[in-house]
Parts: sequence; structure tokens; C-alpha cells
Amino acid sequence: MVRERIFEEMAQAVIDGLPDKARALAHDAIQAGIDPLEAIERGFKAGMDVVGDGFAKGELFIPDLMMSGEAMKAAIAALEPELMKRKQQRQVLGRVVIGTVQGDIHEIGKTLVATMLAASGFEVHDLGVDVSPQRFVDMVRQVDANVVGLSALLTTTLLNQETVILTLKEAGLRDKVKVIVGGVPASPEWAEEIGADGYAENATEAVEVVKRMVGV
Amino acid sequence: MNMRANYQVNATPQFRVLSEDQIEEIYFSALEVLERVGMRIYSEEGVALLRDAGSRVQGDRVWIPSWLVQEALTTVPSRIVIAGRDRNKRVYLEKDKIYFGTGSDCPSLVDPYTDAVRKYTFDDVYNAARISDALPHIDFHMSLGLTSGVLAQTYDRHQFLAMLKGTSKPLVITAVDREGLADQYQMACEVLGGPEEFARLPLFVVYIEPSSPLNHSVEAVEKLLYSAEKGIPMIYTPCTMCGATAPMTMAGGMVQCLAECLVGVVLSQLRRKGAAVIIGGVGSIMDMSTSILSYGAPEMVLLSAAMTDVAKWLRLPMFSTAGCSDSKVLDQQAAIESAVSVVVAALSGANLIHDVGYLESGLLGSFDMLVMSNEVIGLAKRILSGITVTPETLAVDVIERVGPGGQYLTQEHTRRHFRAETWLPTLMDRQMRRGWEASGRKTMADRVRAKVLDILEHHQPMPIPAEVEARLKAIVAEADARHAS
Ligand code: B12
Repeated sequence: MVRERIFEEMAQAVIDGLPDKARALAHDAIQAGIDPLEAIERGFKAGMDVVGDGFAKGELFIPDLMMSGEAMKAAIAALEPELMKRKQQRQVLGRVVIGTVQGDIHEIGKTLVATMLAASGFEVHDLGVDVSPQRFVDMVRQVDANVVGLSALLTTTLLNQETVILTLKEAGLRDKVKVIVGGVPASPEWAEEIGADGYAENATEAVEVVKRMVGV
Repeated sequence: MNMRANYQVNATPQFRVLSEDQIEEIYFSALEVLERVGMRIYSEEGVALLRDAGSRVQGDRVWIPSWLVQEALTTVPSRIVIAGRDRNKRVYLEKDKIYFGTGSDCPSLVDPYTDAVRKYTFDDVYNAARISDALPHIDFHMSLGLTSGVLAQTYDRHQFLAMLKGTSKPLVITAVDREGLADQYQMACEVLGGPEEFARLPLFVVYIEPSSPLNHSVEAVEKLLYSAEKGIPMIYTPCTMCGATAPMTMAGGMVQCLAECLVGVVLSQLRRKGAAVIIGGVGSIMDMSTSILSYGAPEMVLLSAAMTDVAKWLRLPMFSTAGCSDSKVLDQQAAIESAVSVVVAALSGANLIHDVGYLESGLLGSFDMLVMSNEVIGLAKRILSGITVTPETLAVDVIERVGPGGQYLTQEHTRRHFRAETWLPTLMDRQMRRGWEASGRKTMADRVRAKVLDILEHHQPMPIPAEVEARLKAIVAEADARHAS
């Protein structure tokens, strides 16, 4: 009974976008001996699902989503040590490396996509902006990524999406990782032309496409 | 004789968003941000200048003291005049003098012949300039489109050549980096016959952007310092997206925007006292459902007008935004967003009001939108010209002459005044229904497109002498060769 109430509170903390509250509830759960995986699944993630639905219906907006994502992140970070102790692995939908390509410093779109992916259950490694092809490749190798996301906002830097794909090929990693491209000058046709595996116009669509890529 | 005391005249409608006290609060807060939060300046040269002038520095982080800003504000000019290739086509960037022009660098256009959405080519950029050239209410021109099919590092020179050929009006250019700016400056000097003439009456203003929040890239700072050295007037303004790259609140967005602009003012004056800087920029919100930076939001309109209040108070020329839309096509939404933003920007008294012709939130540079907005600007200018109140215009004598139940059509007074008092539309339809039906039931979009095609087919800009054009092409070719490898 008490546990049910804690799960509800966890969900609510995520819905309300309160990182401090979420963190505190995560600590409480550890104290109470609650299985951290259950806390994530039945508590925090349940809240995230509500927020996702609300956004899809147009009742909630990006700041709601972002703050819920922050709350989710805080909760998971707080539960991480306990997961390690129990030798449990948080179930992630997949590991995604994302960044804005070299020469391009447009940050917001990429960050939005990264946050949405993280909030949807992916492990996301955000490399920031002006990322060289080699850094993408190194990170893909380091975290054994399933998907790499490339953002470009300039016609002039769009070509660097292709460079990353070529560098992945040279490194022998192209078959191991799916590539999704985005940003205003990109398009489905462009994705196909450079041999990427997918394209998404916005962050919500990006989540759908990446989910499909990892088969969920 | 009739004498009146304390008589005031509003020669134009009066409009402002902020009180002087509110402006001061925003200015002081911007100073506080510069002094306490500081900025990140990626250029070592820029950091050194600021350090030597008395700023606190740690790596690339620079805290600029208020006195340094105040000092810079005493030497930065309150007015800038630029002129096109046609040296009589001038814009006087002085308090409350309004000018409208296009925006730069949209990736795509709607082909006016096929209606296909496609990338801008050199010819399209040239055609965009010809359209601006032909429109009476467009006073300055920015590229509207980004030249595709050329090298990424030299596209700016190609674009500038296309713009120069297409219009003899004053220009606002963008530049890849310092080298790109230097090449374009050299091109301008070729056109004008030398750097002396450029210094006397510049041919263009360069548009440089700090990167919100609080970042100033190497390229931006290098372009800024080069401009200060050469006497190239510069726009140093960010693209603040409230809620994403700036605080969600309008006032907070303005504080950050102003602080970023003031970095340009300080750096420019440190390099050369008297260097000309224009502040302002694109201030709007991120739409919190779709994530776009809105080019049609009422918040953009309000922020632009409020920032104009601040610029006028600081006695600096203002770069504002209007005549643009989030719509993907020339539809009712585009018309609403163009009209509202144009009227308010005009009333605000901003100097360079840009982005006329943008659709799709700055991704589609539309010839149709440009031509339609030209009509809107004409209408707005009529509102701006206000109401003249004199014995002649009060017309009591005429009212007496006509008396109850008469008409004014046959009064000489009517014929004398109707041209000056009324705006004559060129695209608005005021026919009666049968006339409209007989003339083909054309919508605004139809009439706009017809005018676009008419300009494309007939308008000839002032030619550039062949030997000058050859030298311009040589500069572009040299740049291409330098970057070919
Ligand atoms: C804000 C902005 C800036 C800011 C960026 C600040 C920051 N911290 O990010 C600043 C001022 C720094 C800037 C600089 C420049 N900019 Co700029 N900028 C914009 C602007 C207005 C909005 C971009 C934005 O953030 N949108 C909001 C976000 C949320 O949307 P988004 O990025 O599109 O992302 C969404 C989707 O695209 C997608 N997505 C994005 N990334 C990814 C990745 C993946 C994997 C997936 C699946 C999806 C995806 O999902 C996102 C969320 O829904 C656009 C205009 C526009 N309408 O896009 C111009 C624009 C992109 N910039 C432009 C230009 C030219 C420049 C400059 C070259 C200007 C100059 N001359 O100095 C410099 C370049 C600097 C550089 N080297 O990168 C042009 C590009 C033209 C072109 N085709 O090349 C544009 C289109 C404006 C214009 N018409 O001139 N810019």
C-alpha cells in the first residue's frame, strides 16, 4: 500500500517536473528497500508516459517535457549506485550518441532531440556542437552505441553528416550502428542519398524513428 | 490674429512600448550581466583588447565593467548613412527613420514558374535582388537566399556578386569569416572606385551574430574587428529565442540581447573609436509545441518594438524584424503576420527592418511574400504619415459651403487633397463583385504572383560596367581557387 503511494508520488514528481523531489523520492525508495528497477518502471517512468501522452495531445508543451526529463534524469542518477550494488542493469531501449556536426554550433534542436530520447528510455551521450567525425566514431565505439544522431542546421555543414558516415565506414563500425540525421536542411531524400538509416523532422518523430531502429 | 499657447502637434502617430524607467532597468540589467556574469569570447584578439581596456579575464571568459560600456557609448555614432551602387539610393539610419528590406540566407524558394520548392541558385539570388530593386517600399536588400552549388567557404562572394548585379540599392551582407568579408569589401571598393568612396558613403552593412547565450565566436569577433578597422558599418545582433537561448520572459530576453549587442559596441570602439554599430536583432519565442523560432508571433513584434525603444534611448541605430511568417505558403496566415509586424515595426521607428519576404520561419525566401509585403509597407506608411491638422484640412469652410445634405465630390477641396490624403493600393482589390468576377476572380496570391512574374520578365537593374564586373568575378574566382583543395 505504502509502496503504491510512493510510486504515485514518483510519477507525480516527474509529471510536475521537480528534479529535487524526484531525487529525494529515489533516496527514500532505496532506504525503504524498494527494488530500483521497479521504482523506475512503476514510478518515475509511469510519470514520463503521462507527460509524453499530454505532449502528443497538445495539452503539454516543451518546457513541461524538458523539466520532466530533468526529473527523470535526477531520479535515475540517484538510483544508479543502488543498481550497481544489486548488480542490476537499468533496461534501456538503446544507446544513442548524438551531436551537431563539425562547423555548426546550432545547439537547441539537437539538445531537444537528446532530451526526448533520454526521457523515452534511451541512454543518450550528447557530444555537444561542432563535433568532429572522429569524436562521433570514438564515442560510438566507446559506448557500443546502437544509434548515432547527426544534427546540421546549415546547408554548408550538411555535408559533414556524410563525412561522419564515411568515417564510420572506415572505422568498420557502419554495420554496427544505425545513423539518423536531422536539422532543417536535411530531408528523407538526403538521408537516402548519403546512406543514412533514417531522418526525422522533429524531436517527437525522432523518438519514433529511433525506436523503430532498435526494434521496439 | 489667432494665437494659441502650448499647442502641440503629432506629425505622426505616437507609439512606444516601454517607459524611460523601464528602458533604464533593462539597460542596467544588461550592464549587470556584462559585469557579473560575463561573456565567453572565443577570439584571443578580442579577449586581449578587452583585458587591456580593463575587463576582468579568465581564459575566454570576460567580465566587462559598466564604465567601459558607457565609454564606448560616447564614441559609437548615433547615425549611419549608407548608399547603394546608385549613390542616390541612401538610407539614413537615424532615430525614427524607417527602412524596410529583406532577410538573408534562406535555403529554399518557391520557383515562380513551377511552384516547386527548391534550393536557391546564383540566378535566384540575382532575381531576388531584382525584385527588391523594383519595389518602391524596399529600401535595402539582403540576399533572401543562400547560393547553393558553390563552395561552402566562398558562397558569400558569389552571393554578393548576384546581389550587386541585381540591385543598385544599399545592401546588408553576410560573410563566412574575416576573409570572406575582406573579399566583399574589396569587391565593394571595385564598384565604388576605391576605399575612399566606401569610407565616405559605405555600400553595405555587414550582419554579424553573437551566439546566444553569451557566446561570441572567433568568426564573429574577427569580422567585427575587421569592420571597425575598415570603416564597414556592422550589425552586431543575436537571434534570441525566448525560452530556449534566452530567458522566457520578454524583459529577460531583452536584457540578454542587449548585453550581447553591447559587446559589439565595446569591442568595435576599442578597435577604432567611431566605428559604426547597429543593435537589435531577431528576438522571438520558441514555439513550445513545435520547437520553431517563430517569425510571426506577437511576441516577436512586441520584442522588436521594445528593443527599438531601447536603441533609440541609447541613440543607436536599430536592426528590427517584420514582414515575415511561419506559414509555408503565401496564405491568410502569411498576410496576417506580415501586416501586423510591418505596421508595428513601422510605428516603432526602427531603422533597418529586415526579413521581409521570409516564410516558413526563415527557411523559405519567398518572392511572393516580398511583393505582398511591399504593399503592406505602403499601407503602413500611410498610417504613419498621420493626420495634418490646419485650417485648410479642418475644412470648416468647405463643410459650410456644402451644408446639410450636399456632397463633396464636386468640391475643389476634394480634388486638391485626395492624392495626398489617400493611399493608392496596387494589389488590394477594391472592385465591386461583378468587376472582380469579370477580371478573373483573382485572389491576392494570384495578383502577387502576376507582379512577381512581371518584375522578373521586365525589370532591368542599373547595369554594372563590364570591366568592373570582370574584376568582381576575378576576386570571386581567386577566392574559389584559394579554397578549391
Ligand atoms: C537560433 C539560430 C542561430 C543561433 C544558434 C544559437 C544556439 N545556441 O543554438 C546563432 C545566432 C548562433 C546562429 C548562427 C548562425 N546561423 Co543560424 N539560425 C538560428 C535559427 C533562427 C533557429 C535555429 C533553432 O535553434 N531552431 C529551434 C530548434 C529547436 O529547431 P531545429 O534546430 O530545427 O531542431 C529541430 C529539428 O530540425 C530536428 N532536429 C535538429 N537536429 C536534429 C538531429 C537529429 C538526429 C534529428 C533526428 C532531428 C533533429 O528536431 C529539432 C527539434 O524539433 C535558424 C532559422 C530556422 N528557422 O531554423 C537560423 C539558421 C539555421 N542559421 C542560419 C545561418 C546562415 C547562421 C550563420 C551562418 C549566420 C552568420 N552569417 O553568422 C551562423 C552559423 C554559425 C555556425 N557556425 O553554426 C541559416 C541557415 C541557412 C542555411 N541553409 O545554411 C538559418 C536557416 C537562418 C537564415 N534563414 O538565415 N543561428
